[in-house]
Amino acid sequence: MMIDRRLFREIDWTLAGLVLLISLLGVVFIYSSSHLLPSNYTLKQLFWIGISLVGLFLMTAVDYEFLVSYSIYLYILINAFLAGSLVFGRIVAGHKSWLSLGLMQFQPSEAAKVVMILVFARLFAGYKSPYLTSRSIAVPLVVGGIPLVLVILQPDLGTALTFVGVLGGGFILVGLRLRTILVFLALALVLGVGGWKFGLKDYQKKRLTTLVYPHQDPHGSGYQIMQSRIAIGSGGLTGKGFMKGSQSQLRFLPARHTDFIFSVIGEEFGFLGVFVLILLYLLMLARMFLSVGKARDRAGVYVVFMASMLIAFQFLINILMIIGLFPVTGVPLPFLSYGGSSLLSNFVACGLILNVKMRRFANV
Amino acid sequence: MPADKIYEDLSIVVRRATAVFHVLAVIVFLILAYYWKVQILDFKKFWTLAEANRTRTLILTAPRGLILDRNGVILADNKASFKVSLVREHLKSLRPKFPAISGVLGISEEELRDRIERYKSLPPYEPVIIKDGLEPEDIAPIEARRHEYPELEVAAEPKRSYPFKTLAAHVLGYLQERTQEEIRDNPARNLNVGDMGGGAGIERQYDEELTGRDGSVLEIVDSLGRGQEQISEQEATQGKDIRLTIDARLQKKAEDLLDGKEGVIVAFDPSTGEILALASDPTFDPNRFISRFSPEEWVHFINDPSSPLENRAVRGLYAPGSIFKLIMALGGLDAGYVTEQTTVFCSGAIMIYGTPRSCWFPAGHGSMNLPNAIKNSCNIYFYTLGRQMGIEPIDAAAAKLGLGELTGIDLPGEKEGLIPSPEWKQKTMKESWFPGETISVSIGQGQLQVTPLQIALMTAIIANRGVHPEPHLLLQTSAQAGRGRPDSSEAHAAEGVPPFKTSTFEAVIEGMWRSVNDHGTGQEARVEGMDVCGKTGSTQIVSKERAEMLAKAGKPIKTHSWFSGFAPRNSPRLVVTVLVEYGGGGGAVAAPLAGELFSLYRSLQGK
Repeated sequence: MMIDRRLFREIDWTLAGLVLLISLLGVVFIYSSSHLLPSNYTLKQLFWIGISLVGLFLMTAVDYEFLVSYSIYLYILINAFLAGSLVFGRIVAGHKSWLSLGLMQFQPSEAAKVVMILVFARLFAGYKSPYLTSRSIAVPLVVGGIPLVLVILQPDLGTALTFVGVLGGGFILVGLRLRTILVFLALALVLGVGGWKFGLKDYQKKRLTTLVYPHQDPHGSGYQIMQSRIAIGSGGLTGKGFMKGSQSQLRFLPARHTDFIFSVIGEEFGFLGVFVLILLYLLMLARMFLSVGKARDRAGVYVVFMASMLIAFQFLINILMIIGLFPVTGVPLPFLSYGGSSLLSNFVACGLILNVKMRRFANV
Repeated sequence: MPADKIYEDLSIVVRRATAVFHVLAVIVFLILAYYWKVQILDFKKFWTLAEANRTRTLILTAPRGLILDRNGVILADNKASFKVSLVREHLKSLRPKFPAISGVLGISEEELRDRIERYKSLPPYEPVIIKDGLEPEDIAPIEARRHEYPELEVAAEPKRSYPFKTLAAHVLGYLQERTQEEIRDNPARNLNVGDMGGGAGIERQYDEELTGRDGSVLEIVDSLGRGQEQISEQEATQGKDIRLTIDARLQKKAEDLLDGKEGVIVAFDPSTGEILALASDPTFDPNRFISRFSPEEWVHFINDPSSPLENRAVRGLYAPGSIFKLIMALGGLDAGYVTEQTTVFCSGAIMIYGTPRSCWFPAGHGSMNLPNAIKNSCNIYFYTLGRQMGIEPIDAAAAKLGLGELTGIDLPGEKEGLIPSPEWKQKTMKESWFPGETISVSIGQGQLQVTPLQIALMTAIIANRGVHPEPHLLLQTSAQAGRGRPDSSEAHAAEGVPPFKTSTFEAVIEGMWRSVNDHGTGQEARVEGMDVCGKTGSTQIVSKERAEMLAKAGKPIKTHSWFSGFAPRNSPRLVVTVLVEYGGGGGAVAAPLAGELFSLYRSLQGK
């Protein structure tokens, strides 16, 4: 065993426990929303939680320093996978992001999230000045840009968005001058307008316009937002009760066990359920973000921070999306939504945080 | 700093990371506040939406009220039929199934697509009817494959049926699918998408009475529109029955008489205004319109140059021809231009305002008094009278007899015709009136336009010696059945002062009697022992120049033939007006048809 008992004791069991608790709560809601469907999603999710737990502890076994220094090879590998999935990928729900590896289907873009954390940690650890300089911006933009473009080409806007979140978080930590922020904003505007004109597919544009006018398209992407809002709003204070949500039980709510699982909670457990769950997430995120202070070096700080950002960003986008404040981009709720790849990558990200935290003493 | 060797100073980045988390926490609480708004403040709104989502109202179509003739013969009935609707939730995944669905139902894919496109704006839980008028045996193959097509919904509905097919088609009218505008604009009537409503005739006129109240079944459905359980049911109530004044036997006779011709027969009781028969030919079978899907039928009927859908009795505009001489006689006598004994010599032709005018009888009628001028329909007499009167008194007399205005019959779309006047001509043509036009009007030509029903009403006013009946088709509705006659026609008829002196009427009626019973132009309408009084008319429908050209070419000039009369002479019970388009002479073509109807009426009364 590479990991000794003293280190094992240093694992943040509170954080690991919170993550597991949220995941198991997720299983309950997946059961409620999918028990009428032919496939047994509950068992599958339980199985994936098991796999992910193994992934989490494996991730703690190797010193993150090792992972960070070799991240460049992982980076090359993952880009190859992303490019490969563009060519050979199976099309699932309009995306090519699924790569069939024998029995298991695997989403390289999910793994890419973790790899990006390691690569950026390695890059940013070298930046010791208090602010980002124009030269130090270029390299991470190129490094992040390659997989970002590959993911956008899938086309998987949701994952691309979390990439931006992770990278942006990294930049904030390195230090942003007002001038730099303005340049970024201008750039975002240009990219945004250009992307709208030339880059976005029609269905993606529709999702954005639908956000503003959901009633214009009650059959298409507006349908999801409307049904989700109806589900959440009709939950009221205490909800309709477990497995009693008419929106989810009568199947009005699409993707209710995956991206829209939080709507089921809102409908069946009301605002109280929403409140408790959001509080749980906030607790978990606090535990994650505040682990930054426990890192022994700059690379560790970045690993913890960007892993936390990854989860926080997905969480934010998801709870905004399902209530109609953000376009439907296909971002799952971390730990709660059904889906193996997402579960595994988030557990592994959490494993990275634990890894950094348990090795906080430089002389170990 | 030796410590720096082991631990670098990370305080700035840690501070920044902590700050980022704090910002994040604030954002999360803002989002939570929004959830509060949606779940607590807007709870009612979303709860209602969720309820509307999960429940669906199935409409139980109410049968329309029956339409009966005056003796209780059912003219419009209901029979059971089936309709198939498509539930459109998840329409996208449904599109690939269209070819299969159109195959099962025997409708074209194009039609199916059009149909769904038409109802695009309806909420997705409202099913769209895609096929109707199915018999139970047509339903069996669809029901057998129900599991393959969960989005198809089969429901029974009452279907209108007209057992006598074309009989009284123009009176009854036909049904049409209600438009979305009609449904939207009449919220109080509780109409539903896909309902059939009156499109013409009585079906349209009394649509509100005939339409029942649709029932409904409230049921819980899933997002595919599959019923889960019923919550409540409200039965449909049938519309009110309507009993018409029509006598099916007279109606049938009138239609048989017109068979193969284009024209109109109206028969009604002048004492009550009750219409006993109203036939317009060519006709149509309203059963062919009952389906919501008969575009070809429509196009066929609408493009037919003989306009079979038009009810010529109230919408056909014709020159009255010699029948107008009755009005000339009444107006002339009453205002004292002539007396009953005033004679005019007919030599067969006359020069008026420098234009030669001829009588239809080239040899000339000789010396004519007023009754004989009516009996022989002498043109010269009425040219002379017209020149004496001038246009205003003529128009006034026509207006007193109901021309130029709606008769007020309870049928939609009636036309009012036209009494030409100098003012009218100045307004529409920007030309002044020529005296010669008055001469044309005197024998019912020129710009005069009347409907056959107006002529029938005019005849009835003469028959009644001035009492103006209100022609109508509604005898009673089932709601009024227990309360006696609501529509007391006698009361209507009694109001108002007679437009002319009784002696005036008697003089004109004497002429009408002679026309039929004393070898006049209407003698073909004579019925032994019935004292029929009437007047013929043959309307020149082509210009004089054109007529001369046709005559030169040896081609026959066919005129519209008219006959309008009543019987018996005293206390009249029946007015019959006949118009046959391009029939030829009124005496030869129209009068015998009227005679047959009078004689059938007589034999029916005798029974």
